[in-house]
Amino acid sequence: MASNRWLATGNFFTTYQEEQRTFTTRLDQLIFSIFLLTLFIWPLLFELSRTYMLVVDNILIAVVAVLGLNLVTGFAGLISIGHAAFVGVGAYTVASCSRMIGDSHIIITHLWPVMIIAGGLAGAVMGAIVGLPALRLKHLYLAIATLSFQMIFEWTINFMAFFNQGQTIFVGRVMWLTGEVGRSDHYVFWYYVILIVIVMCGFGVRNLFKTRYGRALVAVRDNDRAADAMGMHPGLTKVYAFALSGFLAGVAGALHAYLYRGAGIESFTLHHSISYLAMAIVGGLGTLNGSFWGPAAIQFLDLQVENVAELAGHYMPSNMNLATALRPLTFGLVIVLFLMFEPRGIANWWRIVKSYTKTWPFRY
Amino acid sequence: MGKTIRKNLFALNLFLAFAVVVCITPQAFAGGKVYKMGLSLAITGPTSDAGNPYSKGVEDYFNYVNDTKLLGDDKIECMIRDDQYQTAVTKRNFEDFLDQGIVFYLNYSTGSTLGLKRDFEEVQIPVLPASFHAGNVEDSHYIFLPIASYSEQVVSLSEYVVNNHKGDKPKVAMFIHPSAFGRGPVGDVEKSIAAGLNMEIVEVVEHGKDLDNTAMLQRLMSKNVQYVICQTIQSPVATMIKDAARLGISANAFGESGKITFLGAHYTGGNDLIDLAGDASENFFWITSYTITSEPGPGTDFQLSLAKKYGRDDKAANSHNYANGIMVAQVATEVVRRAKEKGLDISKKTLHDELNAMNGDNAYQPPTTVGPVTYSSTDRAGVDSLQIYAVKEGVFRKVGEPITSQYMKKIK
Repeated sequence: MASNRWLATGNFFTTYQEEQRTFTTRLDQLIFSIFLLTLFIWPLLFELSRTYMLVVDNILIAVVAVLGLNLVTGFAGLISIGHAAFVGVGAYTVASCSRMIGDSHIIITHLWPVMIIAGGLAGAVMGAIVGLPALRLKHLYLAIATLSFQMIFEWTINFMAFFNQGQTIFVGRVMWLTGEVGRSDHYVFWYYVILIVIVMCGFGVRNLFKTRYGRALVAVRDNDRAADAMGMHPGLTKVYAFALSGFLAGVAGALHAYLYRGAGIESFTLHHSISYLAMAIVGGLGTLNGSFWGPAAIQFLDLQVENVAELAGHYMPSNMNLATALRPLTFGLVIVLFLMFEPRGIANWWRIVKSYTKTWPFRY
Repeated sequence: MGKTIRKNLFALNLFLAFAVVVCITPQAFAGGKVYKMGLSLAITGPTSDAGNPYSKGVEDYFNYVNDTKLLGDDKIECMIRDDQYQTAVTKRNFEDFLDQGIVFYLNYSTGSTLGLKRDFEEVQIPVLPASFHAGNVEDSHYIFLPIASYSEQVVSLSEYVVNNHKGDKPKVAMFIHPSAFGRGPVGDVEKSIAAGLNMEIVEVVEHGKDLDNTAMLQRLMSKNVQYVICQTIQSPVATMIKDAARLGISANAFGESGKITFLGAHYTGGNDLIDLAGDASENFFWITSYTITSEPGPGTDFQLSLAKKYGRDDKAANSHNYANGIMVAQVATEVVRRAKEKGLDISKKTLHDELNAMNGDNAYQPPTTVGPVTYSSTDRAGVDSLQIYAVKEGVFRKVGEPITSQYMKKIK
């Protein structure tokens, strides 16, 4: 390792421990700490409208969900096209409890952190069950298995009276140390909650790959026979990848239910599953920071296209419903362009920027 | 020298002050007040075929109000946002409208109206949705349906079937949308039957995205179904009636023996159905509370003139959803006008109070509907009268006079 822990200009690791550090240099650590601090203090300095706060919260929830998807698809190499259903399992865990015991019951309003974890656990259980076909199936066949879970989930919610046939099941307002979190503080409060969840999940995932369990995911993705020969159990690893992914998705779903104060099926459809997949691809499959870039990029793009489509919808004649096509068209185009020209996603741009600044002002 | 400069500066300041006053005064005195409203709906995405003309109806009527000074110098500023039929986007739009200080909110879909019900209660804002789902007004003090609910429409159609059917107890199938929007009225029809409505529901079909309904129609025929009452949107109905026409089982007149007569609630009909189904739409019975341009009258004349004034194409101008949009904008404008007339401040509360007082002698008669709009703290459906139309030679024609459901009163 370089003697200067602040400015390393190359890899000088002499032990595995050094290589496994979360931050390579102290400068990295400092920059990250400042960035994190900024994320925590900016809402106190700038008052953002509720609308934009809701957008930010949505992006952060998507980050949690995409972290999960990246684990199973990016790191473990198992295609999942039913991720929104896992998110839905988390949301409906909270909503179902709310329906059974009342949306203002103390468990819903006071023990909401427990409910969020419960949402995650329900997602993990579902993930493990859906992951079972991974013991026998691979590639597209596995993708179809996850797709069928998405279909079953939607059908179940849409047709069962217990789930209000897909219509919104309300979740009450939560309590905090200062009392009930009211309308004015709702989105800021959940911003902090989701941010804390992201920090915990982010470090959790980062640290997971320092352990044999994390490395097993990558090993199984790269060559499951070789992984088997090295003493890993490819089948169990895949099931565990699905369970882990389901846990994060479930947590995201529970957060969604609390943020929107309810759960309805239209937030957990196949379209949303494809969106999560797009976020993971655009962000960068198999990278941790890709899980942050992807949701931000796709949601930002979505907002811009939404504005253009709305404008077009206002001015185009009624019988030319072209505006409707604009959104899926742009969406599909972005995914195709990324797959063609930057399959490593935005995370690769970030890597290039980092490597450039690392050696700046020197070229190499 | 110094005095001259001071004098010049004084003169310049005086001139600038005068210029500022001249520029600002006309706006300050002639501007009036601006009342903000919001509309979130599907301009694009699912159901945008209805949402698009609806938004144009709202937009044009508020422009008309401002251009013709219906509220004097005061103006209505209605922000219209696309939500692509997604509740999450509707919620974001609603929050945006609240940030901008709206006093009245126009919503669209059943899902988002139910999903945001709690928000409406908390914010205490009057809401007129485009959804006529009866469940919208349950446990709500602020949601008002523009016209009779889907339940009332479907029960009225059932009553029409019973009153005009010749022979034994009519056998009816229901063809519904697989959601609360479609399922809601089924329970009320069943309650009506329990309360004495003399008909039999043979089957309730929740349609998917089928492009062929042959098997379903053959099954209904084998069960001797004579009437199919639809509570969904136009496209699945068009697919079904085209299949029925192909199979030769569509009734040529109401209740024709051995064939099926098709009937439908508000969102199943209109010119879009005729466009989609062509000749197969002949003899389709449709119920709504709106006047339609194929039956000209003062309301439709106004609708067409408004569309012409604001440069709308024929499709939008003749759409019942355009009329629907005009009507909700008319109700919103009327409550503002009434509150202003009483010298009240225009706020969410006063507009809500005015809606609740819109009954008896205070009932409001917009030209675009077949009956008056009445609301009270217990009555949340605006126009109670319903008009049945049937397609004759390619256009919807009136069938009889406007009706009101008898059984809805019994089962409430």
